[in-house]
Amino acid sequence: MSAVALALWRRSLNEVLRVRGALLPATVAPVVFMLGISGQFGELTGLRGFPTDSYLSWIVPLSCLQGAGFAGAATGSNLARDIEQGWFDRLLVAPVPRPLLLVGPILGGITRSLVPATVVLVVGLAIGAELPGGVPGLIALYVACIGFCAIAGLWGVFMALMFRTQQAGPLMQQGVFLAVFLSTAYTPEVLLRGWLADVAEYNPVTYVLQLARQATVEGIEPSWAHTWPGLLALAGMGAALLALALWALRRLGR
Amino acid sequence: MRREAGVVVALGRRALSVQFRRAQLLMPTFVLPLMLLAVIASGTSAAQDLRGFPDVGSYLAFVVPGTLIQGALLAGLTSGIAFAGDIEFGFFDRLLAAPVRRSSLILGRQAGTIGLSLLQSVFFLGVAALAGAHFEGSPLALLAAVGLAAITAVGLGGVASAIAIRTGSLSLLQSIFPFMFVLLFTAPAFFPRDLLAPALHDVAAYNPLTYVVEAVRGLLTGDASAGGAGAGLAAAVGMAVAATALATFALRERLRTL
Repeated sequence: MSAVALALWRRSLNEVLRVRGALLPATVAPVVFMLGISGQFGELTGLRGFPTDSYLSWIVPLSCLQGAGFAGAATGSNLARDIEQGWFDRLLVAPVPRPLLLVGPILGGITRSLVPATVVLVVGLAIGAELPGGVPGLIALYVACIGFCAIAGLWGVFMALMFRTQQAGPLMQQGVFLAVFLSTAYTPEVLLRGWLADVAEYNPVTYVLQLARQATVEGIEPSWAHTWPGLLALAGMGAALLALALWALRRLGR
Repeated sequence: MRREAGVVVALGRRALSVQFRRAQLLMPTFVLPLMLLAVIASGTSAAQDLRGFPDVGSYLAFVVPGTLIQGALLAGLTSGIAFAGDIEFGFFDRLLAAPVRRSSLILGRQAGTIGLSLLQSVFFLGVAALAGAHFEGSPLALLAAVGLAAITAVGLGGVASAIAIRTGSLSLLQSIFPFMFVLLFTAPAFFPRDLLAPALHDVAAYNPLTYVVEAVRGLLTGDASAGGAGAGLAAAVGMAVAATALATFALRERLRTL
């Protein structure tokens, strides 16, 4: 059975090898965003309550998550294309448990997400971001990216199974965009004002970002206290979206 | 001449109606800039406490020009994407067989871009006003800001159309989105120019969008010191003329090599 998941994982990776530049937008967009946002809002670190004096270090984990999230959401777009072109119908009649059909593409998304996350991190470090968290911080960053990519992948798969068209692509991408930016994306919680402060407090991505920021933000040192909320947030979002995706998969073909 | 004007209007109307029929194309152009506006206005409003930040009555009104220019950028880009779609699916070949001037085909597409940008800007300003933005500029100044954004959209649409004509590739146009955003982020779209990172501050002086966004800010806030309308208009018109010429040249080249 795991052979099915592995075969579909390999198939989703083939896309990266066969379509030239397939990973380029998902990689370049977060890099551009990181450079642009850090250039625009860099002075915000001068505000009292900002945990680091390097805004780039604050933004790098956000851009890594963004890149991983977009790579995950692309899983949904690819599935929608497979549904539209009839390929997924053929998979549905195969004598394998249906949930296995989703495992391969999600694993493919996670593998692809390592490229933008790593490129963003390397570019960020090359132009001055700090790495005070060391190896434990880096592990936390990659756990956050992989987990968030899986979440975005499940969200994309759910959208694809509900709408069954590639036209739902913007919904998948913007879902990721919203989840990331309605958090402590630009400033820490103490500096948020108005409605965003309330939304960010309840947005689980805020805690995933905290998990990731252990790598590069001086004031968020690697510790269990900064880790477990992020892991819990990933597990909660994962369980909810997995249930939705499996429900949508069961509805398919009825 | 009159007949050509009719062609431009008809193509512009078609460009707009196709746009409104494809909700997936409209979503990013109308919703994305507003989402970013909401997040930036709320997430970075503490910046007003920074030393050197200008005294602004409404922070939301201060960042709205960035949204207008982002909208212009997306309107131009969507126009290029639609153009590439027309080329890829064969509609443009049928237009080429029609007894009309080639430049009218470009201007028709640009007319659609103007229409889309005008609708967007009015929508953005309306939503921002409902959300509490207070614009000190006169009604005429607000209209001028909307017009400036539309001319800017023509410039960016011309560049996107030129790429569409040269490559004829829908997927390529869909993937240049991040590259177009370099223009936005190297201008003082959401922050005062003096508070940008030093390297970005230097680059911004060479980005025409800097002068447009500052002019729009000056018009909306009624504060001429925020940006001169003349410099903004010159930058926007310069971009529009150069990009339309570039697209027309690309079309001529495409026809020569057919």
